[in-house]
Amino acid sequence: MAVYLGEFEQLLLLTVLRLGADAFGTDIARELDQRAGRSVSRGALYTSLDRLEDKGLVRWKSASGTPARNGLPRRVYTVTPAGVAALRESRDTLQRMWRGLEHLLKDPTS
Amino acid sequence: MTDPVRRKPDTTYANEDPPRLAGWLLRHVLPGGEAGDTIRGDVLEEWRHRRTKNANTATRWYWRQAISLAVRYAWRGRSGVRVVSDPGVSTRRRYMLAIDNLTQDVRYAVRSYLKAPSFAIAILATLALGIGASTAIFSMVNGILLRPLPLPDPDRLVFASEINTKNQPISTSVPNYFDWKARARSFETLALSNDSPQTLTGLDQARRIRARRITANFFRAIGVRPALGRDLTDDDDRANAAPAVIITDGFWKSALGGDPSIVGRLVTLNQVAYTIVGVMPPGFEYLRPYDAFISMAPIAGSRNVLSRGNHNGFAAVGRLKPGFSVEDARRELTAIAAQLESEYPATNTGIGVVTARLADRLVTTVRTTLLALFGAVGCLLLIACVNVASLLVARGAARQHELAVRAALGGGRLRLMRQLLVDSTMISAAGGLLGVLCAIWLLRLLVAAAPEGTPRISHVSIDGAALLFASAAAAVCGLVFGAFPAFQAAGTQGQQALVRGRSAGFAARSHHVRRALIVVETALAIVLLVGAGLMIRTVQELIGVDTGFRADHVLTTRFALSGTQWTEERRQAFYPEFLQRIRAIPGVTNAAFTMSLPIDGSQWNSIFIVADKPTPQRSQLPSAAFTPVSAGFFETMGIRLLRGRVFGDADAPTSPATIVINETLAKALWPGEDAVGKHLKQGWPEDKNTWREVVGVVADVKFNGLANDTPLQVYLPLTQESSTALIVAARTAVDPMSIVPTLEAAARDVNKDMPLFQTATMDQVLETSIAQQRLSLIVMVTFAVVALTLASLGLYGVIAHAVTERTHEIGVRMALGADARHVLGLMIRQGLTTTAIGVAIGVAGAVALSRWIQDLLFGVTPTDPATFAAVVTMLMAVALVACYVPAWRATRVDPTMALRSE
Repeated sequence: MAVYLGEFEQLLLLTVLRLGADAFGTDIARELDQRAGRSVSRGALYTSLDRLEDKGLVRWKSASGTPARNGLPRRVYTVTPAGVAALRESRDTLQRMWRGLEHLLKDPTS
Repeated sequence: MTDPVRRKPDTTYANEDPPRLAGWLLRHVLPGGEAGDTIRGDVLEEWRHRRTKNANTATRWYWRQAISLAVRYAWRGRSGVRVVSDPGVSTRRRYMLAIDNLTQDVRYAVRSYLKAPSFAIAILATLALGIGASTAIFSMVNGILLRPLPLPDPDRLVFASEINTKNQPISTSVPNYFDWKARARSFETLALSNDSPQTLTGLDQARRIRARRITANFFRAIGVRPALGRDLTDDDDRANAAPAVIITDGFWKSALGGDPSIVGRLVTLNQVAYTIVGVMPPGFEYLRPYDAFISMAPIAGSRNVLSRGNHNGFAAVGRLKPGFSVEDARRELTAIAAQLESEYPATNTGIGVVTARLADRLVTTVRTTLLALFGAVGCLLLIACVNVASLLVARGAARQHELAVRAALGGGRLRLMRQLLVDSTMISAAGGLLGVLCAIWLLRLLVAAAPEGTPRISHVSIDGAALLFASAAAAVCGLVFGAFPAFQAAGTQGQQALVRGRSAGFAARSHHVRRALIVVETALAIVLLVGAGLMIRTVQELIGVDTGFRADHVLTTRFALSGTQWTEERRQAFYPEFLQRIRAIPGVTNAAFTMSLPIDGSQWNSIFIVADKPTPQRSQLPSAAFTPVSAGFFETMGIRLLRGRVFGDADAPTSPATIVINETLAKALWPGEDAVGKHLKQGWPEDKNTWREVVGVVADVKFNGLANDTPLQVYLPLTQESSTALIVAARTAVDPMSIVPTLEAAARDVNKDMPLFQTATMDQVLETSIAQQRLSLIVMVTFAVVALTLASLGLYGVIAHAVTERTHEIGVRMALGADARHVLGLMIRQGLTTTAIGVAIGVAGAVALSRWIQDLLFGVTPTDPATFAAVVTMLMAVALVACYVPAWRATRVDPTMALRSE
């Protein structure tokens, strides 16, 4: 039984994957806002990332800071293999559940 | 995988700083080290970027993020110790850490209670008592008042019966019921029934059974069907139908051996053969336990039942149609009663209707008592809570130093608070457990002490609801009141407390809290004491009532002659024979028969007219209690003869009709005249009843209970007005109960089918009549004593504490020449001021609350000044003693010792 992923957790993991090597905290928030339309408070963002980290699905290492942030370090996130596996599992589950129900997806106007 | 939308970090405005307070908040709530720094860096960077667009919105944004981070991270703890990215381990570790902390807290709490066992015992005893008593009373209230009737859809069941112009219940006339049933539209079914105890014969020994006579639609109305056999059908109501009986499961199993082929068998009830047509399901109960429900057929054709003016103890029960309320039914029946009044003025003038939810009707007699007791127990529970709070605050004060040390050594504030909460939760859980044990024991006492005939008393037990109540009470006691010291701990400033030591600032604050608690406790104690005082006065007054007869050494028991073979002549022959047998029993000095017993209530009330006075209008006709009695009744009961004579051999069935009346009637009808020789007739003016001559006037007897007025009373000679159901009264020279076996043997001897029932001494009849007041008295006095004890112990503690606090000050005062009396006065004044405030609040509260128990009181007003004065005096006296002891110790302070101790 794989780790169960919440919807927001899936979004977070996908965002980190999309950002690739440049998944800094600030950029994750911006990407979520622009691509998924999710404006999220920093409290929710970091505690969720911490939770994913506790589950072993992401990890971060610190990168050096810039003057714009008074030299404070940055977190660079990467998705662990377990994280990728969990995403795959979630996607498969959803697809299994949709099978045979595709007609519901049809645009009624077409 | 670079996204074009992504922006490189901005370097402009690098020197601007975010709002200082929000920055400070972030520094404090976020974890230390890199984990926190990275987050703060991100927020700072984003803020600076946002500022380039709009400085105000950027600052608002920064604040929002700071608060959201603070809220989220505050609960995750700020230890900052994190195992970075070690899959699956860190959650478990954190969980283990929490369990570890909890175990530590529990162990610590147990140790600290064991170190101060007297403290733990004090709290546990208080909680056990408070929770135990309140749970026991709650079980009574829940079982009797709150639990729905065990019938389907009980809220749609309505009770209806008739009342006279004085709002006295007079039961329902059968022809009136037929009209209700025909005209009322609010009911699906409207049934009629009355209590109709029967004598069961034909088995080895005649026995009295609890039966209810019902119309055939009765079980359809209440919504329960027999489990075996059939329900009654409308044919069973007809006068020519075969009498049918439906028995209860309990009776079937106990008296008839649970015979599965019982349906169709005949049983003889009151010498009438009834066919058993059905058996009710186990657990079925209608208001009271019954053995059998019998059909109307045997009485359906009787003139007595069919005359509209007769009210034979029947009451209606109806099931409302969906969408109709009790109020609708009341309005409709009242309108029908008004129609009947104009259609049958001779019989229905002044006859009204009373309706109620069946469930409410059942408990009207005990509602006031139970709610009063529940109120009292609520006070007791509050006092217990206050006491626990006061003890915990004192403990908190004592632990202040310890907490300060722990805070200074880095104990987190939340961690300390949590430990204190674990502490109080544990003790309240233990207290709750003891409380439940206490409740089980108390409830057993209460059920045993409950007045006979208390409805649904058999349903009272410590059930799930009671356990829930006990847990809630324990949780409230523990958490709310345990929170006091926890919040105090939260206010702990580590260094400050360390530097200032044990006695300063905080201790003063806790002292104020404790004094406030004492005020509350005193006020609650006053309320309970007033309640207890009023009940004591009530019972005193009731016991002091002149009953008009001598209750000691009188045995009473009942018998009934049933069956058509008991004609008037045979009855008149039987009575003297049976009475002769009773009088011959060794130890019996006199004996008599009567239809009604004093105190127990009159069975026959009727209007009457007198010969030599103008007859008032129909609705103004006087009403009296009519009681047939045998010769020897007044002598046996010890009722004084005031004028004329009592009944004797002269009053034969064929001699002129005579009566004896009571003083109240003589004074009401013939004030200033001699009533002896006057004439009186029972019934309506046009009735063809005999005029009876008054031959004697006797002293008033409290016929309808101690608390009620003496009714106008007419005694008739049994020889001229006999009855099939009578009461034996026997005056004995020995213990009345000791003659019961001989009496029962004598009864069997004269008539084997005549069981004696409801055997009790007259003293017991008296006791039963005031059982509700007595129960309230016992409970209230017990609670009041507990309350007084707790309040005075609390007061003692506060004063003792104040004395310890002020040892130094007292030492200085005494060194400077203050004498012991002065110091004593100082300390006592402090205690009495606190008490006086509590007393004032308590008196105000008691004045407001005592009217709730008005219905329980007799001979005393709810605001009886004497009771209030006595209560206040007593409480102040107890408070004085509670203050004096520790204050006296203050005067023993050796000034040099006190000064050196600094």
